[in-house]
Amino acid sequence: MSAPTSGNLRPTGNPVPSDDASSQALSEALGSSLLIVRILSGILAAAAVFSCVFTVNPNEVAVVLRFGKVVGEGAEQIKRQGLHWAFPYPIDEIVRIPIGESQVIRSTKAWYAISPEDEAAGVTPPANDRLAPGVDGHVLTSDGNILHVRASLRYRISNPVAHIFQFANATNLLRSTLDNAIHWAAVRHTADDALYKKRVQFRDAIRLRVSDLIERQGLGVSLDTLDVEVAAPLFVKAYFDSVIAAEQDRSKKINEAQGEFDRVTREAAGEAKRTLDTGLALSNALMQAVSADAQFFSQQLPEYRNNPRLLRERLRIAAIGRVLTNATDKFFQPGRVEELRLNLSREPETRAPQPGR
Amino acid sequence: MKKKNPLTLLVGGMLLVVFLALLFCFQVRTTEVAVVTTFGRYANSYTNAGLYFRAPLPIQKVYKFDKRLQSFERKYEQQFTRDKKSPILSVYVGWRIADPRRFLESFNGDLLKAEQALENVVRDAKNSVIGSHDFTDLISPNPDQVKFDVIEGEMRGAMAGTALSAYGIDIQMVGIKELGLPESLTGKVFERMKTEREKLVKKYQGEGNAEADRIRSEADLQRKKLVAEAENQAQKIYGEAEAEATKHYRVMQQDPELAVFLLSLRSLEGSLKDRSTLILDERTPPFNLLKGDTLTNLPTVRPAAGR
Repeated sequence: MSAPTSGNLRPTGNPVPSDDASSQALSEALGSSLLIVRILSGILAAAAVFSCVFTVNPNEVAVVLRFGKVVGEGAEQIKRQGLHWAFPYPIDEIVRIPIGESQVIRSTKAWYAISPEDEAAGVTPPANDRLAPGVDGHVLTSDGNILHVRASLRYRISNPVAHIFQFANATNLLRSTLDNAIHWAAVRHTADDALYKKRVQFRDAIRLRVSDLIERQGLGVSLDTLDVEVAAPLFVKAYFDSVIAAEQDRSKKINEAQGEFDRVTREAAGEAKRTLDTGLALSNALMQAVSADAQFFSQQLPEYRNNPRLLRERLRIAAIGRVLTNATDKFFQPGRVEELRLNLSREPETRAPQPGR
Repeated sequence: MKKKNPLTLLVGGMLLVVFLALLFCFQVRTTEVAVVTTFGRYANSYTNAGLYFRAPLPIQKVYKFDKRLQSFERKYEQQFTRDKKSPILSVYVGWRIADPRRFLESFNGDLLKAEQALENVVRDAKNSVIGSHDFTDLISPNPDQVKFDVIEGEMRGAMAGTALSAYGIDIQMVGIKELGLPESLTGKVFERMKTEREKLVKKYQGEGNAEADRIRSEADLQRKKLVAEAENQAQKIYGEAEAEATKHYRVMQQDPELAVFLLSLRSLEGSLKDRSTLILDERTPPFNLLKGDTLTNLPTVRPAAGR
């Protein structure tokens, strides 16, 4: 290889062929692309690793499906709150199921037609003399009457695997179950029982039926509370109200009479006691009087036997004296009178006002 | 030769595996059943969850269906019972795919079409079962006579055979969702309910008055009884006192004349004790003294009136 000559501006080295330059550029480009691919691969690998980890929140549980099949057996199928591991999708699939919060379903199939706006405003729809099927829901009671019933059921998912993986629409089925239970209970109660007398039993019957069906169907839920509202049809509501009023009136009358009974018997007991006390007092007075008479007789007898006339006159004059002392009015009328008038019903005497008062 | 990056190889390999898996594998979820057809002809059914192999499209095609329990509600319609009563009734049905191949052939996997087909099955079952029961099997004053569960079981039995053989559907449950009366009958029931309520009002009003009267009569009776018993008791006590007094009066037998005189004096004093008016003349002792009378010729006191 010869050294480059001075004054020659051309490159002294071997001239680079144009193909080599292209190859080098391509090689550099490929190198850059590979770098990007490597970075992306690294990111993908990191993402794959991180996607293997998942958390389950306190108000939910999770089930891992591996190739579509539930991972684990029994209680191990349920992943509770905390950090868990799974293969990335599509190998594993994580199904989250909310269980903490209770859920509500409402059955209004047997309730009369009312718009949510009217319901919120407390407006009662007009009372029709008949019910339109499919519009005005109702139940039939054991005594052949018609009532409106609606219910609100709170429940929690107790068996997430069964609830999610066995039923396409568990909520819908649960609502149908509640509808069924309402009619089942209604045909076992009279209208009066469902409305007034056995409201609690009626609600309990619905709850019992729902529990039974849930158990049989394996819906995987547990019941929290059940609120049931029963109403008489609007068209006859006034008549039901009048029966309640009559019942209350009956109770009022009976209570008043019972109060009177108590008062009368209490007063009678008092009167009886007074009578008894009076009898006792009279008998005591009699005994005392008789005893005193007998004693007085015994005291006077010797003197009487000694001088009967004197004793008699003495006692008589003494008695007249006491009588005259006690008498309210005494009239002394000397001589003979042809006519004597007495005002026996005169007004009571009033004192004349004192001067200066 | 330049050395290959192992990470690149790994990622590349994984991508290749995924690609091949998509071509040659399919998953059946725990909620699904799958049917595989080869060139359009049924090849196999998969009812268990897992990963399965298949030939790539267009050789084999995989159909997946939801095998969970589906609920379906039949519309509210009038039925006739054996005793010619006409309640209106709707039912809900819980069903699931039992034979995926039959289901695919019947409905091409369309759930809506399946439910449309089930409607006829449900209607037939409802008509036949309700028609074989009296109305009292649905509503009766005697709860033991109500046969909800029996009727639901019979309806399920009536549907199950047809649904399974014709459509590959297993009917798992049937329940009565609504039970009511036709519009015209509700009006009549309302009239009866009104009459019953009016009767009840009268009954309660009558009962209230009758019961109140009975209680008042009872009170009066009790009062009379208590007072009479007390009076009897008082009389008895007084009688006993009288009997006791007789013993004391025996003393007076020593001189009945004195005894009568003394008792008369006491009686006189007693009778003129309160609020008495006396009219006296000069003959009344001691006023006779004003005339100068002696005790030898004394008149008696004359009581005028007691007020």
